[in-house]
Amino acid sequence: MPLICLGLEGTAHSFGAGVVSGEGRVLSNCWDMVSPQEGGIHPREASRHHSDMGPDIIKKALTEAGVAFRDIHLIAFSRGPGLGPCLRATATMARSLALKLGVPLVGVNHCVAHIEIGCLESGFRDPVTVYVSGGNTQVIAFAGNRFRTFGETLDIAIGNMLDVLGRIVGMRFPAGPGIEKEAEKGENYHSLPYSVKGMDVSYSGMLTAARRLYSEGVALSDLCYSVQETAFGMLAEVTERAIAHTKKTEILLTGGVARNKRLGEILTGVANRHGAAFHTVSPPLAGDQGAMIAWTGILQHSAGDKLDVADSHVRPKWRTDEQDITWRASS
Amino acid sequence: MEPWAIGAESTIFKTEQWGRPIILKWRPEKPYLLKEIDEQLRRTRTSRECKMLTYARLLGVPTPAVHWTNLASCTIAMDYIEGRQLKLMAGTLSRSLLHELCYRFGQSIALMHRGNVVHGDPTTSNVLIDGKSRLWMVDFGLAEWNATLEMKGVDLHLIHRALETTHWDQQEDMLAGVLEGYMSLLGSDAELAFSRMKSIRERGRYH
Repeated sequence: MPLICLGLEGTAHSFGAGVVSGEGRVLSNCWDMVSPQEGGIHPREASRHHSDMGPDIIKKALTEAGVAFRDIHLIAFSRGPGLGPCLRATATMARSLALKLGVPLVGVNHCVAHIEIGCLESGFRDPVTVYVSGGNTQVIAFAGNRFRTFGETLDIAIGNMLDVLGRIVGMRFPAGPGIEKEAEKGENYHSLPYSVKGMDVSYSGMLTAARRLYSEGVALSDLCYSVQETAFGMLAEVTERAIAHTKKTEILLTGGVARNKRLGEILTGVANRHGAAFHTVSPPLAGDQGAMIAWTGILQHSAGDKLDVADSHVRPKWRTDEQDITWRASS
Repeated sequence: MEPWAIGAESTIFKTEQWGRPIILKWRPEKPYLLKEIDEQLRRTRTSRECKMLTYARLLGVPTPAVHWTNLASCTIAMDYIEGRQLKLMAGTLSRSLLHELCYRFGQSIALMHRGNVVHGDPTTSNVLIDGKSRLWMVDFGLAEWNATLEMKGVDLHLIHRALETTHWDQQEDMLAGVLEGYMSLLGSDAELAFSRMKSIRERGRYH
């Protein structure tokens, strides 16, 4: 029987459990998310959701994968970065399972996991990764022995900007899909702050300007269209800067915002111009979910990484570039 | 003509004019971007880069001389600098020469900041070192006038970022060289910019 790893992901609003085998087959990937009727996510409500729903989601993941608790060789969990209460609820479940089953525990960096599951799906070896979600906007590439953040947002994440805009115009969380749908009907472009600094971006000015345009009565479709084109244009530019600077030949798009078709279209254009391969991680593996944690746990385990329960405190501010990537050859 | 290099936003050609090598920096249309945004960016950056290459030289920073600019095609013709990017050289230099070059990189940034100009993309890809170990700054498409303390802090933050991503094994030495060079010209003003750089860094995720 190959190595079987159960991965638990609970860094923010969703809780996921995924089962992945040692050769990289995703056997199951179940999740559930807090969906507030109005407003955003409260960390305490989200962590309660994870504690309440976690056990059932884990059982469901095992059933779908066709494995029993005794078949599990390894428990991986999202150790950070993320919301403290959510991380702690998830870590508690992971520790209990590891102790109960007597199997090793591995702590996984959430951002690194997004990249590794994307590499598994695409077959890419060394991409520039554009990771865009509600909490993150990063352009990451491997250099030396770490995943290094070449560019990121200097203020709010792109998904956060879209969610807040959605809230202003009366859409439910997450607002990305609603904004995308409106944008398809948009025709008139309204100029918005385009803020690129080196390989960094800033979205707070755009949010303020978009709020003002909305209050001035600009049509919602035109507003969404203008916001998407400007925000994604900025991402295209920093991606091009990262490709030109690192000379890498693969671009991987992942995170919740990767579902946006227009963003994929723009980055395909970027990849073509630079002769790079392009892959958008498929929606089930692009959002936050347990399979990415399980797969990265397997990679770390194969490199001899293990975590004692006593040392397994969570790391809410764990940066992508703080972890030695022992399972990849140094570049 | 075959491109000599493909940059992030431009395509570079090397050609000759009056028997001397020159560089054509062309910002092509990007069909994948919204036309309004693309046109605005290409035009303003070409215009800005043309002016800034000259203005930075006025402030004492060595830059390639501009021969002509065509705003319709978004092309700038400038001197070809026979040199290599600091990015590619850093790993091959002695520690003292690397320190010296970083020191002068810091001084070049300081000269611009003293004139209230920021470079906007001060990575080691945009620092050229010629055969006589002279340093040249290029790529001024993101440069800005009327720079505030915040903008200067961002400029320094970008250097810090570039060093930690691209020169992770030499970043401490290189950053020390840059900051010393910067401070050598700006004195106490440098301290203000350094502390702003730190606070900008901490605005990033997970600090």
